[in-house]
Amino acid sequence: MRRVVVTGQGAVSACGIGADVLTDATQTGMSGVKSIHFDDLDAQRVKTAARLSKADLAQVLGDKPHRMREPVAEYALTAAREAVAQAGLSEEHFGEACGVSIGSGFGGGQTLNINYLKLGREGSMRLDPMSVPKIMNNAAASWVSMEFGATGPALCLATACSSGSQSIGMGYQMVAAGQVDRCIAGGSEGCLESGVFRVWELLRVMTADVNRPFSKDRNGMILGEGAGILVLESLESAQERGAPILCELVGFGTNSDAGDLLRPNPARAATCMRMALKTANLAPEDIGYVNAHGTGTVANDVNEAVALREVFGDDLAGVQISATKPVHGHALGAAGALEMIVAIGALRRQSVPPTINFTEVDPKIGLEPVPNVAKSTPLKAVMSNSLAFGGINATLIAKAYEQA
Amino acid sequence: MSTDRDTLTRELLQMVAQEGMVEPSEITPQKKLEELDIQSADFVMILMAIEEKYGAYVSVDNELTDVVTVQDLLDLAISKIEEHQASEA
Repeated sequence: MRRVVVTGQGAVSACGIGADVLTDATQTGMSGVKSIHFDDLDAQRVKTAARLSKADLAQVLGDKPHRMREPVAEYALTAAREAVAQAGLSEEHFGEACGVSIGSGFGGGQTLNINYLKLGREGSMRLDPMSVPKIMNNAAASWVSMEFGATGPALCLATACSSGSQSIGMGYQMVAAGQVDRCIAGGSEGCLESGVFRVWELLRVMTADVNRPFSKDRNGMILGEGAGILVLESLESAQERGAPILCELVGFGTNSDAGDLLRPNPARAATCMRMALKTANLAPEDIGYVNAHGTGTVANDVNEAVALREVFGDDLAGVQISATKPVHGHALGAAGALEMIVAIGALRRQSVPPTINFTEVDPKIGLEPVPNVAKSTPLKAVMSNSLAFGGINATLIAKAYEQA
Repeated sequence: MSTDRDTLTRELLQMVAQEGMVEPSEITPQKKLEELDIQSADFVMILMAIEEKYGAYVSVDNELTDVVTVQDLLDLAISKIEEHQASEA
């Protein structure tokens, strides 16, 4: 197996455009959560989301919206351009040697919503003729492959909130196995549309006030959107090009609960983390920081804490844990990718981002997840967890790059 | 305008019966929801009905997961509805 390094990263999120912007926001605890209003929801119950600002959205979409691209594809393209530029890739580095692995939970949520509203209200037959290519889940992955002429494997995993993490994991495996020299990998989501928002309200997992992961008074998550993209590369090809090496991607684990569609299983999440540690050839004590899935729902946080204890020991003494979703929101299919960028940011800055809005330890959890203020600490390796509906778990581990 | 507690209790009991698909005669305040075979999916339906009727959005929190009996559910629903009515007032 070849060593795999990260040579570029890009992000689009409620915090702004850029991976550094995202890292800055998570380190300083500057939340991108904003008010959100849907004209076609008569009685909108939840009134906040981690959406892009109007100015950022205008910058990403351009003056004239592309006729065949939804925001989900534009977010991925913007983040991929940033990552590719940082990696210093040019034409000769793409082709068959470059794969694309960009997941999305929903795919294009916008066109479908507009079509349904128009069809239902007006009975109109004049719907967007480009709906199918805009909606399809792999649109973002395909647009990114076309943008750069990456003709290696193009994958789009749609595994809800694990899409981004699993997609990075698949990219890692393809590069490690020597199938490709590099892979543009991550996740994208653009689902802040009235119909989608309403069905999330109905599931009762969104908070109508403030997102507080692991806090006793937590009562749900905040939806987000955006894209996170990494350029993964074999160490040899990165060295050959003299590329900047941001860190080494060393571990990936993924498994399925095969149990309940919505209720997580802590034993399976623990097994997933152990699998990632095994591929990384690391012990739990080597991990300095875990970016938790930490949605701020009652069920996730209780179960994730049990899983973390199983892996890192009852007292969780040797590891810092935090959840950064109150800053960038729960961006579903993009979440794992955005959070991996946050974890890499922690590793590179040797500083653990805080869990903002935290008020009180929940006795059912007994964990104080680096509350409210960042914590400087030496970090050798970091972990990011995604625990999705459907019982799909994914764990990634990055390590500071050291020459052999 | 706030609905008085007796009316609220009666309406909520009806709602639990209807959304949980349980015979109204089987429901007593001390009964455990589990005994009535009211599952988490039924909870979501009950919460949707509460939203429709009273306009109160109730997301799942620690208090809701601690609910065991019909009475627990009634108490929590009433407090959330009253909270909502107070915030709207």
